[in-house]
Amino acid sequence: MIRSFPVTPFGGAGKTFSIDWEGIYMKRKSKSHSLAIFLFLLPALILFVGLLIAPIIMSLYYSFFDWNGLKALDPSEDFLGFGNYTILFGERIQFGKALINSLILAALSVFVQLPVSLALALALGKKIKGERVFLSIYFMPVLISTVVIGQLWLKIYNPEYGILNTFLRAIGVLEGDIRWLGEKNLALGAVFAPTLWQYVGYHMLLLYAGVKSVSPELREAAKLDGATDGQVNRFVVIPSIKPIIKVSVIFAVTGSLKSFDLIYVLTNGGPMKATEVPSIIMIRELFLKNKYGVGSAIAVLLILLCFFFAILIGAIFKERDIYGKK
Amino acid sequence: MKRILACLLVLTMVFSLAACDKKDSNDNKATNAPANTTTDAPAASTTNDGEYVSSILQNAVELTLWDIAVEGDGNRPAYDAAMADLKAKYPNVKIVETVTENEAYKTKIKAAVGANELPDIFFTWAGAFLGDFVDAGKVHCLDDVLKKYVDNGELPEAMLGNSTYNGKHYGVPTTMNVVGLFANMDILASVGYDHIPATKEELVDCCDKLVAKGITPFVCAGKETWCVTEYLEPIMEKTIGATELNDIFRNGKTWNNEGIKTSVATLQEYIDKGYFDPNGIALSNDEAKAKFMQGQCAFYQNGTWNCGDFSNPENVKFNVSVGEFPVMDSSKSKAGQLIGGPSDTIAVSEGPNAAAAAEYAVEFGRLICHYGYLKGSGLPAWTPWGDLSEVSPLMKTVTEICNKANGYVLFGDNAMSAEIANIYLEYVALVYGKEIDGEGFVNGLVKEIG
Repeated sequence: MIRSFPVTPFGGAGKTFSIDWEGIYMKRKSKSHSLAIFLFLLPALILFVGLLIAPIIMSLYYSFFDWNGLKALDPSEDFLGFGNYTILFGERIQFGKALINSLILAALSVFVQLPVSLALALALGKKIKGERVFLSIYFMPVLISTVVIGQLWLKIYNPEYGILNTFLRAIGVLEGDIRWLGEKNLALGAVFAPTLWQYVGYHMLLLYAGVKSVSPELREAAKLDGATDGQVNRFVVIPSIKPIIKVSVIFAVTGSLKSFDLIYVLTNGGPMKATEVPSIIMIRELFLKNKYGVGSAIAVLLILLCFFFAILIGAIFKERDIYGKK
Repeated sequence: MKRILACLLVLTMVFSLAACDKKDSNDNKATNAPANTTTDAPAASTTNDGEYVSSILQNAVELTLWDIAVEGDGNRPAYDAAMADLKAKYPNVKIVETVTENEAYKTKIKAAVGANELPDIFFTWAGAFLGDFVDAGKVHCLDDVLKKYVDNGELPEAMLGNSTYNGKHYGVPTTMNVVGLFANMDILASVGYDHIPATKEELVDCCDKLVAKGITPFVCAGKETWCVTEYLEPIMEKTIGATELNDIFRNGKTWNNEGIKTSVATLQEYIDKGYFDPNGIALSNDEAKAKFMQGQCAFYQNGTWNCGDFSNPENVKFNVSVGEFPVMDSSKSKAGQLIGGPSDTIAVSEGPNAAAAAEYAVEFGRLICHYGYLKGSGLPAWTPWGDLSEVSPLMKTVTEICNKANGYVLFGDNAMSAEIANIYLEYVALVYGKEIDGEGFVNGLVKEIG
């Protein structure tokens, strides 16, 4: 609401000033809203900065020093610059090889794990009988402790009494023992199998939520046009859940880069570093060799790689506008 | 009004973050507490029978204890018996114990040192492992408390060697262990041996006969590299001698040693001949030990902390004996040179409870040693006392071996610093996996360590 007031200054002709009371009220209301928003976000912000941002910055700081984590850090004496980063790619640590293992796991996650999860989500999204039961069953490995899953698969892979070798011997495919976790050329695949298996249910649940959110009218319209179930999935459902697929891909890739617990339980990076991934090296450098600088450098590199892949995947999945531009 | 309530709610949530602190605020105080000096040593008192009773432990105090004596560990009964005795002696002392598995404990304790969150009393390994903590100024000196036990002969000064740094004592040895060659005597009898092979020739002959009969001589847990060192280090010691190996492990002597190359070649030769379970490379120590206890292999070379388990007829249904690994090169080594020593140690962190913790830790270590010897989980680092009739025949055999010993070399991963020990273990793993030979092992270690 704007009100005008005639104002006559000394010796001057009358002038009219307008005051936009409504605008002032809206600005004040907006400011108090902003304050409320800030205050409500403050706890989460403190946690985010304290538990996520601050440790990242500290890791970056420590990565420039030769520090054993036990004594107080002496910046003048312990400073190494980029020395820890160059050590990583040297002959001893073989960080590059570990990174390749992680990238293989990431590729398997995207091209094996996610298609299986998507297939399950599409199947369960059709309102089949026992849908909730199947959902729970497929999600169960996600809930079980990774250490328990590791111990389970250790028994499955046992060369002598493990169920895998026993089954292969029973069907006549195998005569002796296969050391699934003891052979260099088998251990990596053997370790990745339970890793991929454990999180199929997790991605399935994400994609299932997306599938369920697709409007039934779209499906019906496609069916009316003569589309088969497969064509409905391919041309209607999957394009509709593209944002969720993008999220799943990001989670799968970044999770693979950071994978640790199952590999630690199964092989601890062995045999002869065949299953080593960056996280295993990081833990060893930090806690067994007391090389906090090197461990921090690995942590920083992992963060940068996760960022890089998140941005890359976002770019790949970016929607085109009506002119075909992204 | 609504906004005021909303702001109050937000402020409550923000300030509630301050409550997310450690349960025991005393933990924070420990990091700033001044180190105890020798002038703080408490007055001692004795009972009528001369047994030492600590005055400071008469007061109510709560002490935190971390150790690795998990359920099923050979040391657990000794820990339980020791804690029961001390609970009866010092009823006002409350112990809050946290038990962690061996490998995970190494990570946990180092993280605690770095974060200034060490418990009052903690298990540790002597040598360089504890030395790193002492260098960081996190460990309480035990000179005052240990003195009376050393002076009256209860604790031989030699047993404190591995936990002495810059002339001061920082650990209480609980047991002494050596690497022993445990043997299934029933299996050996089936190939004509009524004793553990005492020479290299006998060992090879025995193993050849076992292999011919389809029996695996040795099982070694390749998944845990320290288990591989239980085989490689005795071979090295019995090839180049204890003094030379000690110089390499502890005194910085070069790894460029023909005897080391020969030792690696010997181990790999035995692997090639089928003396070792080929599945062992993927086994954990528990799995490998279980194979021996189930009678699936003839020998299991590991620490004498296993004597308790192997002496228990519920665990082992066959006749078990223990001996030392045979001499490989008699021109440089001889029988009686053993891998091991007092490594298992109890230490005390600097903090407000350090004085009380020191008194408790020393008595605790003494009792663990006593009961551990009785129950077969370790050799006595302290002078044995009391009724020793319960000591198992297996442990008595080990005691006899140690009584004849003329040289000890501390376990490699305890003797060397953390970084060097892990480099060494990486190369040992490559040796067991046949990725490198003796030349590669030596050249690699010379390049990395010297």
